[in-house]
Amino acid sequence: MFNRFKDDLKKYWKYAIYSSKAQLKSEIANSYLNWLWWVLDPLCFMLIYVFMFGYVFKSNQQYFAIFVFIGITLWDFFNKSLLQSVKVIKANKPIVSKVYIPKFILLFVKMGVNGFKMCISLLIILAMMLVFRVPVTWNVLYFIPILMTLIVIVFGFSCFLLHYGVFVEDLSNVLNIVLRFLFYLTGVFWNIMDRLPAPYNNYIGKGNPIAFLLTASRDCLIYGKTPHRKLLLMWFVVGVIISILGVRKIYKNENSYVKVI
Amino acid sequence: MEEKHAIEVTDLVISYQNLKKTSIKKNLLQFHRQKADRFVAVKGISFYVREGEILGIIGKNGCGKSTTLNALAGIFSPDSGTIDLKGHSISLLSIGVGFQREMTGRENIILSGMLLGFSEEEVRAKEAEIVEFAELGEFIDMPVRTYSSGMYSKLAFSITAILETDIMLIDEVLSVGDQKFKKKSYNKMKSLISNKERTVIIVSHSIETLQELCDTVMWMHDGQIKRIGEPKPVLEEYVDFMEKN
Repeated sequence: MFNRFKDDLKKYWKYAIYSSKAQLKSEIANSYLNWLWWVLDPLCFMLIYVFMFGYVFKSNQQYFAIFVFIGITLWDFFNKSLLQSVKVIKANKPIVSKVYIPKFILLFVKMGVNGFKMCISLLIILAMMLVFRVPVTWNVLYFIPILMTLIVIVFGFSCFLLHYGVFVEDLSNVLNIVLRFLFYLTGVFWNIMDRLPAPYNNYIGKGNPIAFLLTASRDCLIYGKTPHRKLLLMWFVVGVIISILGVRKIYKNENSYVKVI
Repeated sequence: MEEKHAIEVTDLVISYQNLKKTSIKKNLLQFHRQKADRFVAVKGISFYVREGEILGIIGKNGCGKSTTLNALAGIFSPDSGTIDLKGHSISLLSIGVGFQREMTGRENIILSGMLLGFSEEEVRAKEAEIVEFAELGEFIDMPVRTYSSGMYSKLAFSITAILETDIMLIDEVLSVGDQKFKKKSYNKMKSLISNKERTVIIVSHSIETLQELCDTVMWMHDGQIKRIGEPKPVLEEYVDFMEKN
């Protein structure tokens, strides 16, 4: 299986990149200002949350705007990729029913699109860090393994959602609800560790991978702290395991998908 | 002379079973499980195709022709039985795979070509030939959404016709575009098909096409092979059978 995965990756990698680029280009094709929405969209949501929770609910979090923006950026990537992966086979029916393509490549295409938008947001975060004069430490480098962990976890979950999304018609409805709940348990605009009562903050803050990754990113980017390295490694390994199982599941079943859709 | 086989199919069975879609809502509200109906589309067929041979498949609608073709192309997996391609590259001739409407014709050539399993370099090497064959003029650098449907199919046809594989699977012989391009594309198809090196399987309802192009004709009925052999006798028998029923 590993060899097959490697060969498929080698063969279709370029297609995934090319296709991601094509989709991004399609989005801005009608108006060149459309790319502005890639910036404005997260920026506006950040302003809303900053207003609601910074002023109305009086959060005293340091660098609150950046705090929220990091949350939105990573959450958006996670949320969008997962939601799209449920429908990715149906959305690509014309391709899937005409040629053989390893189905997880379609996930890479989506993740490429969402990843690119995430990178734009990351640049904004960088700019905000300069504006707010956040003291930068070497801990910033931990952001790289954090991103890698995020990517393998998203990929792993997406594989399973891709598979079950083919057979279960209303999976996306359920996923929507689950993700909304998870959104509030992730602390996109509040600090899980401070706001939740004692044992629960630990359970959720560490047991919910995305919440943990958010906390870790904020720690290393704006608060100059070293993230919990063992936990990070653990989530990375978990992500890899889920990905392996997911790819195996896809390989076993992918040729039946077209019979169902 | 020893004959080399390009494709060997043994006991191929393909069914659509247990693959019914379900939903969480249905599972909650329905206590009696619906019996999954099993529909066997292809019932254990075996055949081989020699290298360079042109095999035509004929049969009435729903007899499993296209299912067989899809299985050969690797889009479906067989429930049992084997398909041995002896390491040949194979493609199902299909039009406009993975086209993105906002992208230019030229970009779509690359995109579609890579999806058909070619590397970017291979596609780029053939790009000029494709562009020339498609006869789109300056439209080649315009987004595909601006194309008329004729132009769209001209481009799509050119991509599939010029990026060749060892084994070609054809679901209905295609001819597209206006009268002139129709002729050109039909001739191109013919020259592709009759290339001595290439193994071709054609699914068609047209007796004339099969008579003209094929070396062997296979008649499928209800997921099984009814006759296989020289085109003339098989096709005559098929016509007789269809008229009686």
